[in-house]
Amino acid sequence: MPYLSLLIFVPVLAALIALVIPTRYTRAFPWLTLAATVLQLFIFIAMATHFNPADGLQLSEKKSWISVSLSNWGHLQADYFVAVDGLSFPLVGLSVVIMLIATISSWSVSKSRKGYFILLLILNAAIIGSFCALDFLLFYVFFEFMLLPMFFLIGIWGGPKREYASIKFFLYTLLGSIFILIVMVGLYLSVQPPESSNQVHTFNVLHMQNQENFIPGSVLDATGSGTWRLWAFAILFIGFAIKLPAVPFHTWLPDAHVEAPTAISVILAALLLKIGGYGILRFVYPVFPDGAVYFSDWVAGIGVVSIIYGALNALASKDLKRLIAYSSVSHMGFVLLGIASATTEGIAGAVYQMVSHGIISAMLFLIAGVLYDRTNDRLIENYSGLALPMKHYTAFVLIAFFASLGLPGFSGFIGEVLIFFGAFQSHTLNNLVPFWMPLVATLGLLLGAGYYLWTIQRMFFGPFAIKTMHTELNDLTPREYSMLLPLAILAFLFGILPQLLLNYINPFAENFIGLWFSLGLNANP
Amino acid sequence: MVCNGHGPANSLRFYYPYLAPKASGNFCRHTTVDDFSAFFRLLFLTGGFLTLFISLQKESATEYVILIQAIVLGSCLLAMSMHFATVLVSLELVSLSGYVLAGFAFNKQSSEGSMKYFLMGTVATACLVYGVSLIYGISGTLYFSTTQFVDALIASSSALILIAAVLILAALLFKISAVPFHLWAPDVYQSSPTPVVAFLSVVPKLAGIALFIKIVLAFNLFGQAAIDWRMVIAAFSITSIVVGNLSALAQTNPKRMLAYSSIAQAGFLMAGVATLDLAGIRATLLYAAVFLLMNLLTFTALYFFEKWKPLPAMSDFAGLGRVAFIPSLALVIGLIALTGLPPTAGFTAKLLVFSSLWNAWADSGLTLILILFIVGLINTVIALYFYLKIPYYLFLKETPAGTASIKISITGNLLLLILVVVIIWLFLNPGLLMGWINRITFVL
Repeated sequence: MPYLSLLIFVPVLAALIALVIPTRYTRAFPWLTLAATVLQLFIFIAMATHFNPADGLQLSEKKSWISVSLSNWGHLQADYFVAVDGLSFPLVGLSVVIMLIATISSWSVSKSRKGYFILLLILNAAIIGSFCALDFLLFYVFFEFMLLPMFFLIGIWGGPKREYASIKFFLYTLLGSIFILIVMVGLYLSVQPPESSNQVHTFNVLHMQNQENFIPGSVLDATGSGTWRLWAFAILFIGFAIKLPAVPFHTWLPDAHVEAPTAISVILAALLLKIGGYGILRFVYPVFPDGAVYFSDWVAGIGVVSIIYGALNALASKDLKRLIAYSSVSHMGFVLLGIASATTEGIAGAVYQMVSHGIISAMLFLIAGVLYDRTNDRLIENYSGLALPMKHYTAFVLIAFFASLGLPGFSGFIGEVLIFFGAFQSHTLNNLVPFWMPLVATLGLLLGAGYYLWTIQRMFFGPFAIKTMHTELNDLTPREYSMLLPLAILAFLFGILPQLLLNYINPFAENFIGLWFSLGLNANP
Repeated sequence: MVCNGHGPANSLRFYYPYLAPKASGNFCRHTTVDDFSAFFRLLFLTGGFLTLFISLQKESATEYVILIQAIVLGSCLLAMSMHFATVLVSLELVSLSGYVLAGFAFNKQSSEGSMKYFLMGTVATACLVYGVSLIYGISGTLYFSTTQFVDALIASSSALILIAAVLILAALLFKISAVPFHLWAPDVYQSSPTPVVAFLSVVPKLAGIALFIKIVLAFNLFGQAAIDWRMVIAAFSITSIVVGNLSALAQTNPKRMLAYSSIAQAGFLMAGVATLDLAGIRATLLYAAVFLLMNLLTFTALYFFEKWKPLPAMSDFAGLGRVAFIPSLALVIGLIALTGLPPTAGFTAKLLVFSSLWNAWADSGLTLILILFIVGLINTVIALYFYLKIPYYLFLKETPAGTASIKISITGNLLLLILVVVIIWLFLNPGLLMGWINRITFVL
């Protein structure tokens, strides 16, 4: 069964069906989208039974896509090449779950539903495609494919400053993808598949990861002088760091999050940011291990700065959604720290943190959405004592906040602990991350506890007071329950049974580090 | 083989025996029929046909149809020409018809645009004639695609060649509206009738590119020229891209914005030529074909909006996406293609151009080519900002109260959809066009 193609193209098919349904059947569109996402969930479950974590890349499908002869410097060959391994499999699973929940969350959308759900379905396909693609050009196309739907989803269905936010999002992300494109073209012209003539070039990422496939004398030749390779590493890294987002490339994120409708904020935080981390693990590090060693303290440093700067900004935020957005910046900083350590624990922790952040940040944005739906107001200072009228809601808020600040028993804890193991170990093991960096990063945990606990104290405890009362403050509806409960269960499950995820991630992390050892790059420099 | 003994050809009769193999020409070897010209002729005919098709609903005067056909004819001859006299005659055919067409709205602005176009065009023609006369003095022949021409230029190694070449190229840069010969474009684009702009922005421009390729290859003298033409073209390409894009940022009138965008596109069209290798020129040919489709799509969609109501500012498009979905979608796809984003053929074409630039840089180590590569890519982001303005107003702004639904004929919508499908289809399957382009060869 071509599971991955099914996952990618079921939403495309649903979008085509939605296109021909007349606009006046407004109720058909959410149901159709829901049907598609539920079908995806079943496909994913069926796929999971065929997935063996120890096997590396599997379930692959490969078809020639573009094959154009270009005369003297060769043959343009791009494939439709998809496969999953221990890195992408958990992220694909996360995407399927989050898209399902985002669809349920979109039920309240009333403005031009047809367009909204069609864009949501296209976005769905592009996200899953990005996680599965192993041909750089195919990845790039899926990656760019996300921009236009996001632009319209934020720009049409967003908050008051949505136009500004959507354009800023689009321009920043396109700048990032142009950086990626620069290196992609360079890599493509520097790599040839094994056992082929000099005239054939390839976009296949697996070939790019093998240093023997670089054409001798080409610009990015692994055995050459290496200056251009360092540049290429830096450019490609920045391209993905914009998406991650890492400080100082993060300024699009708070605006986009605050203005986006709830479901889109959820997708943005839970999935789109992960593509930044995924890109670094899939493309930047394996293709340019030399650059990764050379820049390791920079990567870790950017991670630490993101952790602290994001947390400080979250502490100062007056808007609940902005606070959560900055907490995302802080948490994604941990991913960078873990990756920079280049230890098995660090890499596994980074992937774990990505999945865990996907679950928890989705919960956090849903929580912000629940409140905003009722009062049209997100300013923290306008609330007090919400625990009294909304008991169930407050329970979920506590779960999400504690999970996010890294309380043992929730998934966030496992990810962060693994990252710290890796980062502290790196000092003695490969000397890539200086000892003081993880030390400073622990400050981020303290700050995280600070802003979450302070928010709980200000908004939920004390006497009940609310500045502008629009409607009754009802507690959670069944629909909201159905979104928050599965996420809370997942965060809890991955917190107490980490092997559920680590079974998939560990083989990938070991393989990843093994590749480095085989190159002799992991020795003390 | 017709040789009537009149005009410039007459004076050249003595040189015939020394020229290139007999088989390759018509009209005293003034023109040639090869894959290169066939490719461009198909583009020109497509452009002419589509323009006449969208002008159908307008009660077009006979003159209008004839002028369009005259430009198509002139452009075809330009792509086929091997002789400077043919170049001159067909370039004038294109230009003079263009001047009249630009004034076809018959109002004050239109006449002003036409006048500006005419005055600057005349200077360009004068440059061309002067340059050609110098070249004739040096080489003794006007057949620029012959070995004799090249041999004579290599032998003379006079600095005059450079002056002559610059004069001739200036005239071509005027035709393709590249910086610094672009000043006419914004006024003409803004004031002329939209179908005319759609036509003028593709057919004469691509004819200019076709001739540009031929003449640059001739002056390159198989790499033995006194200066490195790659540097010259790359410099013009960079300035066109940068000036065009930065000027477009500030525009509020959609057609004026597209005029500056078209100046930047001229830079991208030249970028592939700057490599002076087969792959780069082939990438340019693909870009030319895609440019034709995406520019025509954009202007056609724009024209359908304008037929409904004049839209002098981009803010007038506010909320129209909801009342006229298909033209709005077509406009968005056209602009996304011009930016160079997937899933449009604009992406594929830009990818091939930039790949050829990287390869040319890796081969030659010319820093200017690398700069062109980076400037071109960064400009994609700048370009997105202004290309996005129209989609922004179309879909993100509220529809003003009382906006009536826009009626667009079924054939009009169908044409737009066909163009959209072709642009997306060429993204999924560029081999369709590349297979043909790969048959085209050049003597480099």
